Amino acid sequence: MRKNKTKLNMNRRNFLTGTAALAGMAATASVVPITIANANHTEGKKGLPDFISWKDRDALIVHSDKGIETHRSAIGESLVTPNRNIYIRNNMPTMTDEQIGNRMDWKVSIEGVKNPKTFTIAQLQKLGHETMATILQCSGNGRGFFKHKPRGSQWKTGAAACVLWTGVPMKTVVNACGGINGDTVYMTSAGVDHVPTGLDPKKAMIERSVPKKVFKDAMLAWEMNGVPLPNAHGGPLRMVTPGYFGINNVKHLGKVAFTTSESSVKYMKKSYRISPIGKKGSQYPSCWEMPVKSWITRPTDETGTVKAGKVQIVGVAMGGTKKIRSVKVSVDGGSSWKKAKFIGPNLGKYAWRQFVLETTLSAGTYNIASLASNGSDKQPELRMENRRGYAHNGWKDHSVNITVV
Amino acid sequence: MKIKKFLLILIFSFLSNTQISFADEAKMIKGLEIFNETAGCAACHVLKAAASEGNIGPNLDTVEGLSYESVMDIVTHGLGVMPAFGEDEILTKGEIDIVSFYVANSVGK
Repeated sequence: MRKNKTKLNMNRRNFLTGTAALAGMAATASVVPITIANANHTEGKKGLPDFISWKDRDALIVHSDKGIETHRSAIGESLVTPNRNIYIRNNMPTMTDEQIGNRMDWKVSIEGVKNPKTFTIAQLQKLGHETMATILQCSGNGRGFFKHKPRGSQWKTGAAACVLWTGVPMKTVVNACGGINGDTVYMTSAGVDHVPTGLDPKKAMIERSVPKKVFKDAMLAWEMNGVPLPNAHGGPLRMVTPGYFGINNVKHLGKVAFTTSESSVKYMKKSYRISPIGKKGSQYPSCWEMPVKSWITRPTDETGTVKAGKVQIVGVAMGGTKKIRSVKVSVDGGSSWKKAKFIGPNLGKYAWRQFVLETTLSAGTYNIASLASNGSDKQPELRMENRRGYAHNGWKDHSVNITVV
Repeated sequence: MKIKKFLLILIFSFLSNTQISFADEAKMIKGLEIFNETAGCAACHVLKAAASEGNIGPNLDTVEGLSYESVMDIVTHGLGVMPAFGEDEILTKGEIDIVSFYVANSVGK
């Protein structure tokens, strides 16, 4: 098919100069910007967009330049997922160094407290200092298993990571502001990454409300796994809401407000709602607390042929907002289960635990599954069907088939 | 007689294909217009074939498994900050069909 390049470029010029008088343009002028945000996602040398060209291409599955998943076998066997392997899911373009400016001068305002204040990162660093481990997981991790093919990146297991954050506890910040106002119900965090786009903040701002109680364990983080928080992961400052889905861990943080009602922006009211297939609306639950979940990371179909004999079955397990208590492993598709052993250090209830089951397998094909429990809840066998493919923790879809020779 | 019949079929087949090709060509030109102007997709997406450089949504040349059906679905219902061009009646069904055809046939070119 012939490409009409001349016409294409002409049309683009018309668009860029804002010939919005065209019939259909009036309808779209309110929803799209006339000015175009600078693209910083040209393809890098290694097949990754420029803004994350420092990542390990071999560890990643590229669904798009803004949806990049970690291979099941590349989330790290040392508990913490290396930055170069961590998934990317950005609703807004990553802010550039130029847009951010001097990182120490980055400001965040705290509202809904007795004494509202604005802090620079330099000032936050004088308030307090702590490191904690949490799991960062996209609400749609596991969407790729849903049969109705929900819109969005078709993640399997790799929109998740275990991360060490360094920053100041939100509790410390709240204390420095004289405490929270009495009638507060939510902690509402807002990013400023929509600003350079020129889009309507109501439609583009990432502002997320979570129950007020979350502030007690939350953190304003400026460092990720030992390095200044990369721009691609929300640098220079990010809200960390332990046990809550990734979207609530607001990037490029500009404001935290203690509020009496949920944010009214689209990303709170309409998006990230867990609704039945064919239905939608703000009456359905928001993607907040992550459920208990686990999956096998080795052996898988990515890790090569498995030789008959002793086999170490390895994986990760998370308890959501509660401590993970146990993991069982099946090598026969769930007909029988054996208790796996937790290994490695325990980095707290918001981190995942690695587990291993040593077993002996003879030649043949096996379906390997893991089933985690946090004491109150355990993984269901099947996924919870929902419109957008959120919060999948069913063990069956997450199982792997391997061949032993 | 058999040869005549064969030639007739051949000519008919050629003409049919040509007509489809002309129709597709027209659809591509109209699709480009919708992409760049009517819907303003170019403001938010990179698509090399359209020389667009928007950086709000994904670079369409990099989206895995993109198809006519998947484009039509997202354009109709929206996703994240992307408007629901169908549900909100920003585009007609015909326009959505055309722009979806255009995008699906332009990615990676």
